[in-house]
Amino acid sequence: MSKSAIDLPPKGGFSFDLCRRNAMMSTKGGVHPPSYRKTGTTIVGLVFKDGVILGADTRATEGPIVCDKNCEKIHYMAPNIYCCGAGTAADTEAVTDMVSSQLQLHRYATGRESRVVTALTLLKSHLFSYQGYVSAALVLGGVDITGPHLHTIYPHGSTDTLPFATMGSGSLAAMAIFESKYKEGLTREEGIQLVAEAICSGIFNDLGSGSNVDVCVITKGHKEYLRNYQLPNPRTYVSSRGYSFAKGQTEVLTTKIVPLKEKEEAAEVGDAMEE
Amino acid sequence: MEQVSKTKIAHEVGEIQSDALRFGIHGVKSEIVGDHPLQSALQSHMMTESEMKRTVLASTYGSAFPLKMDLDRQILSKFQRPQGALPSSMLGFEALTGSLDDFGFEDYHCLSDPRESETYRPADMHHGMEVRLGMSKGPVCPSFI
Repeated sequence: MSKSAIDLPPKGGFSFDLCRRNAMMSTKGGVHPPSYRKTGTTIVGLVFKDGVILGADTRATEGPIVCDKNCEKIHYMAPNIYCCGAGTAADTEAVTDMVSSQLQLHRYATGRESRVVTALTLLKSHLFSYQGYVSAALVLGGVDITGPHLHTIYPHGSTDTLPFATMGSGSLAAMAIFESKYKEGLTREEGIQLVAEAICSGIFNDLGSGSNVDVCVITKGHKEYLRNYQLPNPRTYVSSRGYSFAKGQTEVLTTKIVPLKEKEEAAEVGDAMEE
Repeated sequence: MEQVSKTKIAHEVGEIQSDALRFGIHGVKSEIVGDHPLQSALQSHMMTESEMKRTVLASTYGSAFPLKMDLDRQILSKFQRPQGALPSSMLGFEALTGSLDDFGFEDYHCLSDPRESETYRPADMHHGMEVRLGMSKGPVCPSFI
């Protein structure tokens, strides 16, 4: 009773306005909505001696097409926390951006460094409440006051806490490398090498993954984002004549130049207040 | 209360729920399941979360505390601008419920903003006021063409 008496302005979120109409159109009218496109990714993470290393490939696919050859899959969450995303690119970006804003608000309120479990709980509760319709598979890594942490989060909201983790369509290829070569107490160089090797395994054995290797090293109080750490698939053909186009390739139809004038206003200095 | 309901038209809360041309004729199955499997799941998730919060508050501060919060919530939800150009900020209400410290889809996604929706109907201030005063029928802001 008390709930129903409250009339609030409508808020955003998922809108189900047209679901029933769309269902009727697809069953009775034979008009089908466009289907989902296949995605593919290799993202990995491991715990080494001093912290956490995250890695990702840089290929973005939409079905059979590579739509971006050098995209970023390692997203910022907090100064000490980063997150790799697999699945629908928009969903991973939206979810990580939203949770990073929530963490920032939390830091403003508490004045302390964010913890990895906070980010983990926010992510998993959001994903669980949307029942897998937000298709984001994440590898969350960071170093906080309680030490280095690495978690994987599945689209339906279940999580794992592991010393090394892989996600995406290339996760099997990458996990093969990790399972054969991972050991405890890796140094920084060994860790980066192993992560790069696992990502390369995904790049070369999985069709959904490709292009370059991104690596992010997080240690206590310090992080290093190595964008395009390795470039195993460089461009093979570059025109010897270059791609500079001569002036006048596109005809200019009209030109109108509006000079910007500075508007000056003189404020009266005087006794305006004394009346 | 009985006397009031005879003279005033009942205040319909929320969005339009009954429109045969738009939503089809009322059926038992569609009433229970909803338009989309996620819709009922989200609603029940929100319900269980608020229920949990209530029980936690009741066991921590006593059973009077959530009741008082309900009263505050009702009072603060009344501070709204008339329908029109500016949306109500609901600052006091959000401070009470704690959603001021939260950051969700609705806060940053321009597509999730109902005002940006392609089915949004610009609010009519006079209609909204008439509904508030019990002189007219329907929700204050139908938000649906």
